[in-house]
Amino acid sequence: MNMTMTAPEVSTTALSVRGLVKSYGGRPVLTGVDFDVRYGEIVALLGANGSGKSTALQCIMGLADPDDGGIRLGGADLGPLRGRELAAARQQAAMVFQKVHLVPRLSAVDNVCAGALHRMPGWRSMLPQLYPRQIREEAMACLDRTGMAGRALEQVGRLSGGQQQRVAIARSLCQRATVVLADEPVSALDPHAAEQVMSLLADLAHTEHLAVATVLHQPDLARRYADRAVGLLEGQVDFDVAPADLTGEHLEPLYLPDRVAA
Amino acid sequence: MTTAETRTPRRLPVPSKPRRGLRTSRLVLAAVVIVVLHLLAFQGTGFRPVVLVEGWQGMAGFLAEAFPPDLDWETVLRPGLEATVVTLWIGLLGTTMSIPTALLLAVLGSRTTGAHPLVYQAARSVLSFFRAVPDIVFALIFVTAVGLGPFAGVLALICHNTGVMGKLWAESMEETDQGPQQALRTAGANRMQQAANATLPMVVPQFVGLLLYRFDVNVRSSLVLGLVGAGGIGLLINQSIKSFQFDAMLTHIIVVLVLIVVVDQVSALVRKQLSGPNS
Repeated sequence: MNMTMTAPEVSTTALSVRGLVKSYGGRPVLTGVDFDVRYGEIVALLGANGSGKSTALQCIMGLADPDDGGIRLGGADLGPLRGRELAAARQQAAMVFQKVHLVPRLSAVDNVCAGALHRMPGWRSMLPQLYPRQIREEAMACLDRTGMAGRALEQVGRLSGGQQQRVAIARSLCQRATVVLADEPVSALDPHAAEQVMSLLADLAHTEHLAVATVLHQPDLARRYADRAVGLLEGQVDFDVAPADLTGEHLEPLYLPDRVAA
Repeated sequence: MTTAETRTPRRLPVPSKPRRGLRTSRLVLAAVVIVVLHLLAFQGTGFRPVVLVEGWQGMAGFLAEAFPPDLDWETVLRPGLEATVVTLWIGLLGTTMSIPTALLLAVLGSRTTGAHPLVYQAARSVLSFFRAVPDIVFALIFVTAVGLGPFAGVLALICHNTGVMGKLWAESMEETDQGPQQALRTAGANRMQQAANATLPMVVPQFVGLLLYRFDVNVRSSLVLGLVGAGGIGLLINQSIKSFQFDAMLTHIIVVLVLIVVVDQVSALVRKQLSGPNS
């Protein structure tokens, strides 16, 4: 694949979040979150349910409107952008969901092509049968990159959870995203499939120089696959450390029962 | 030591729901309202079974005249069969020709795919209008334009079916999983692309099922449309009643019965195939 040629140099900041604030119906969820993700690294976001991890990702992707704070994606400040310019800037980031969000009745390759809808001509984007051949071939290469090329023509609904997640990751590659945000990508998977998906995400960060941020509920996976672990507690960053330094002292406050209840 | 066989199962009291009293009084109120509504309805419709029992002879005479059905090929059965085929055509075209309009209004009038709140409201209003006007009224209107005959029936069904099917389709799009659509939104797809590539592929089985259901209903509706001059077997049934040929009427009704059963079975079969492994 040629995305390594277009991706910026390793260690420049791909995603930068500053002072992100968001509340739902008067209940504060994020109270000033700062973190960075650089090209070529995978960052694990840890935290209890309700600590704001997913909300932070949603604010970046435009699925939620932040009340305050700044987001920079690939060097572009999203704040002043509107309409098409904002959409174009956001296309650098792709989202991978816990529930994969593929269309079960369509084939894997059709689902992957859908990541490229934003650069397809109008009428040819209306039916999978009309998708341009270059895009179908690019989608095949993306499936190959995630180890799913052999199942390209199968209905996604018939694939296992881990396979579906790898198709979803291929879709984000076909989007030509340089930043991948994964919201609990392995929470619904068995341990073996979870290992496969995490090692794929880490590999994409390290060899394709993508910036990957992933919400995780298993500190163990963060230790083994992430380059950095960011802990969120009550809507703020509690720690930002190398996984090797991640200790019980970091993790225990995150998952205290009274915090989880809130 | 107790074994699994001899152990008495443990039991715990079920906690009682709070505000129980309020719920009971609400139930009583609902029951009273329903009973009162029924009493009013009985009165309003002159619903008195006694009248039916007393008038049994009228029915018996009518049925006696209808039996045996007149199976004369040239004058009754052949025209009946031909008109039944016309009825089937009316139902078929009334259903399929309303697909484009119903689809357009469903996509615009579904909260998940609709472009703008104003467009959504407008589409919903158009759908409500077509649904609220009965097909028989549409038929009467179109008869004045295109004259008596099946074409008026087809036009009437297209209008009414657009309203009903559009609403059913819009609702099935609102009920389907929004996840894939959201995923394409984050991938930069516009609203049309989201609808075409996520929402519509997800609801195809429901759409086809509803389409078949509407075909079923529309074939039956086209019978009634025949009564107001919109062609088909309904017209022949109406004529045979007006000329007191009850035995011919019975023949037509039997033919209609066969048609309805066949349509019903075929659409049930196709729907069963659809809800098979792929859904």
